[in-house]
Amino acid sequence: MSTDGRGETLPILPIDPQTLLALHRKMVTTREAERIWADMLEKREFYLMGHFGTGQEAVGVGLGHALEATDYLFPTHRGIAEYVGKGMSQDDIWAEYFTKPAGPARGKGGLHLSQYEVGLVGLVGSLGADYAISAGAALSAKLRQSGQVTVIGFGEGTSSQADLGSTMNVAALWKLPLVFAMTNNSWCELSPAEEHVCTPLVAPRADGYGIPWSVVDGNDVAAVYSAAKTVVERVRSGAGPYFLEFMSYRMGPHWSGDDGSYMCEDDLCAWRERDPIALCEQRLVEQGVASAADLAGVREAAVAEVTAAIARAGSLPDLTYDDMLAGVYTGAPAGAAREVS
Amino acid sequence: MAEMPYAAAVNRALAEELAHDERVVLLGEDVRAGMFGTTSGLVQRFGEDRVINTPIWENGIAGMALGLAITGLRPIAEVMFADFMYLAMDQIANQIASWTYMTGGQTSVPLVIRTAGGAGFAIGYNHSQVTESAFVGPPGLKVVAPSNAADAYGLLKTAVRDDDPVLVFEHKFLYFVPQEVPDEEFLVPLGKANVLRPGDDVTIVAIGSMVGKALEAAETLAAEGISAEVIDPRTLVPLDQETIFGSVARTGRLVTVEEGRKRGSVGSEIAAEVAEKVFGSLKAPVVRVAAPDIPVPPGPLAESMYVPSAERIVETVRGLVA
Repeated sequence: MSTDGRGETLPILPIDPQTLLALHRKMVTTREAERIWADMLEKREFYLMGHFGTGQEAVGVGLGHALEATDYLFPTHRGIAEYVGKGMSQDDIWAEYFTKPAGPARGKGGLHLSQYEVGLVGLVGSLGADYAISAGAALSAKLRQSGQVTVIGFGEGTSSQADLGSTMNVAALWKLPLVFAMTNNSWCELSPAEEHVCTPLVAPRADGYGIPWSVVDGNDVAAVYSAAKTVVERVRSGAGPYFLEFMSYRMGPHWSGDDGSYMCEDDLCAWRERDPIALCEQRLVEQGVASAADLAGVREAAVAEVTAAIARAGSLPDLTYDDMLAGVYTGAPAGAAREVS
Repeated sequence: MAEMPYAAAVNRALAEELAHDERVVLLGEDVRAGMFGTTSGLVQRFGEDRVINTPIWENGIAGMALGLAITGLRPIAEVMFADFMYLAMDQIANQIASWTYMTGGQTSVPLVIRTAGGAGFAIGYNHSQVTESAFVGPPGLKVVAPSNAADAYGLLKTAVRDDDPVLVFEHKFLYFVPQEVPDEEFLVPLGKANVLRPGDDVTIVAIGSMVGKALEAAETLAAEGISAEVIDPRTLVPLDQETIFGSVARTGRLVTVEEGRKRGSVGSEIAAEVAEKVFGSLKAPVVRVAAPDIPVPPGPLAESMYVPSAERIVETVRGLVA
């Protein structure tokens, strides 16, 4: 246990080429999906505003990929990396974004995606509400002795919600199988992190709760995956909670309707050098796992997959007025809501 | 049939439901000791994994209950005072209420949040309010307000077995009043009002602690030749509109009575529904008897003037029937 104020240096596990290729593919799919989404917004072809995660794909993908389908992951509100990492398909994501009843949440999710069969149990919109919910999920797994691990994802911006401290308290108090997975992307909505957060790192606060912590390069997908694997198995074995802080950078604005003019071009240039996809590709080529042509093929395949999923989702039947009213209560038909209204 | 205080009836319901379904767990502040006796003795019988003391963190109690409910358990959470329900407002109104709809029914949210509201101890402000009216709006919640020990028992048991989130607004002054509760196990259905006293001249719809006062008022009115029907809706969401509308259609007069404040009250909602649906039957304006729109004042003198009394109900009805 590292309560010495410096955190723990986690071992870097060897990563096999197939896993690294899978991580790369998921990052590229995430990047391309968000790029195509932004293009559709630009052309006014799509309604749904987005909080894109360009530049921080490695965190969500590495985390999601390291978990079992039965583990619970509470994603951040930024981008789709966690969903892709955890195994949600483009078809399912876009059916929900297009609010089609064929989606896993019957088109009721919108940005608030969920897919219970892969451990994605729901996304909150009031940032930080999911700290307590994740503690409940972790407590449930502990009481049921199910061996499931819960991961709560958030950013350094949401670290200011008071429930983070309360959740670290109960997680340590009850030795919950809960991983705090924070992405420090240097931006809190439209403001630099130093205007929101009083310390450069948030993870050292875990010391106050007796929770071990580590700071990880969030732009190195292999490092993210390795850290997640190590920590999740430790937490699964009953060691209690863990706090991971992934250092990354949001290479775009807070949301799709925001021009990002408050961001600093020098910082963006510096971080583009550390683009997680470029870093991963460099490694794949250096290790002889993939050629430049292979990597271009991955990108083309991702674009084709996303484009096809969007086209299919767009052509699915729309929800009806009755579909909209239905489902407020378990098994409640639309008539119930119609009656009340 | 034995007499037992409302708090003991709640305790009996909790014990039976913990025994009935091993997925049921209790969580809240001091539930092992039990502030009002509603949860006392349960940890000795069911163990610390089923009866969980939480830190002082109402938003967390509600949020953790949601996390437990969507992952296979059936939590009964306790928020010690109904005033503190506002501390859990984001979890209740934004998350718990929406989760079934938002996930398209991939999960249900089988949780109960019990809380104790109401005046009676003259401490004012943050320990004396009834707050159920604030929770009637968010779609996805069910809301009950038991007015007596038997309903506190039967409604709670039904709430625990319901697959949707149910908020149970108990009343801490009633906790200590002994009342008859049948010995055999029974359930009280949600959404079904209780007509406690039939009458022809006026319908009094009273909630929670006001039901006893409405019955007292009806007794006084009867001596004056005014026949009042007293209805306890028991469940505020879903509201048994059929029973209320049927009664108002016969009597032509409606008085709602609640311990909460008037503006945005439960009575406001009932009055609006009646005005929309059975306006033609009304012989007099609908009147809401409620607390004034002020913070709950401290001290026994102010509290006695703040909480609606049987006399106020009697005077209100006289004004309508005269």
